[in-house]
Amino acid sequence: MKQAFYGLLLFSFLALPPVAAVMESIMIVHMHMQMTLLVLSGFLMGRFFQLKFPVFFKKWNMNGIAGILLFMIIWSFWMIPRSMDDALTIQVVELFKFSSLPFLAGVALRDSWHKIGARGQYIVFGFFILVFSFMAWIYIGADNQICNNYLLVEQQTVGWGSLFFGVILSFYVLQVLFIDQSQYE
Amino acid sequence: MSISLSTRPQVHHLLKRGETEAIGDEGLRKGASDLGPAILREVISMGENKRNTIAVMAVLLFGFALFYAGTDGFRAFTAESARTYDINQSQPAFPDVTLEDSKERTYTFDEFAEGKYVFVTFMYTNCTTVCPQLEMNMAQVYEQIPNDYIGEDIVFLSISFDPEHDDPETLSKYRTYFGSNGETWRMARIHDKEELNTVLDKLGVIVIPDGNGDFTHNSAFYLIGKSGHLLEMMDFTLIDEAADEVNRLLESEEGA
Repeated sequence: MKQAFYGLLLFSFLALPPVAAVMESIMIVHMHMQMTLLVLSGFLMGRFFQLKFPVFFKKWNMNGIAGILLFMIIWSFWMIPRSMDDALTIQVVELFKFSSLPFLAGVALRDSWHKIGARGQYIVFGFFILVFSFMAWIYIGADNQICNNYLLVEQQTVGWGSLFFGVILSFYVLQVLFIDQSQYE
Repeated sequence: MSISLSTRPQVHHLLKRGETEAIGDEGLRKGASDLGPAILREVISMGENKRNTIAVMAVLLFGFALFYAGTDGFRAFTAESARTYDINQSQPAFPDVTLEDSKERTYTFDEFAEGKYVFVTFMYTNCTTVCPQLEMNMAQVYEQIPNDYIGEDIVFLSISFDPEHDDPETLSKYRTYFGSNGETWRMARIHDKEELNTVLDKLGVIVIPDGNGDFTHNSAFYLIGKSGHLLEMMDFTLIDEAADEVNRLLESEEGA
């Protein structure tokens, strides 16, 4: 339960208007930090929901597939350039961001990650590497604005940031696949 | 009822063929306790499979609805394309703003248009990236329009959104780079800040100053119709398509 408390603390901090305003003023912080932290806060708070509604999770997310799909869908949605712009200009969309990322994506991830097993996790990693590469390609390559609220150079920063994420994830997956972990235990 | 392949033979082993169908799901559950823990487990796992499927379906449906709503039915993945779509749908009127052109003449947009088509772009002369490209492409469209129409049925206008820097002198130098003659293709600034913002807002031109005298902005060809309403917002990189579209409109007008 301590975790859930820290999650709530993190969430409340992120939701403070000045904090949100500063984070959203820089594109890469908005996309790769605020959104990631929102998911993390939900991941931590997930413990609370798991303890509070164990039957619900057991019943409806037995093998974790529905949950992990929900997580991937929500996260992908926020990677659409338009969603980011809309979050900045339309209040309801901003509200949806602050509820969907922690409470749908984060909680679902918490409940599903172990249930889907190693193979499922590889699929998720693969999906992330693909999306990040795609984003890198789009955001670095685009020579006009994709996001109206940010400068072109910020957009390219996001592209490089995505590439970085993609590469790091690839390294992680490769080392898990090809290095015998038991030798280091 | 969905029974996974692995559970089916076992269920049939305990219940005679046909009986499963006859007593149904409810009956199975009621009778399960009598049949011992083995069948109970099977029945529970059958429910689980069903629920898993339902949950996955619900999530996929939700995802579809979310993406559909968030992208105007998979049409607009960027705010820019959403704006284009929206503006092409709503066809806003071009506000009657006061222009000051490269020859220091001052007139309103309506006075300039006089019921002709107006081909408009927005730029600033300090721009080193997209604007020269935009104006160069505009020049190519200009060249593809038959001479008879130019000045009679259609005029071209490049509007600077940097009025502080782009005075008539600067504009008159800038226009020569692209073959604008200053008459049927004019370059002008909108001096009044409020008027400028109204135009930019109405036509969905987003201009963000970066603080060093440069701007990040979106670019497009705007075709204003004879009634002063926006007819089309076109991709400025598709020169031939834009020219064809303009010519098509001009020709259809002639035939009518």
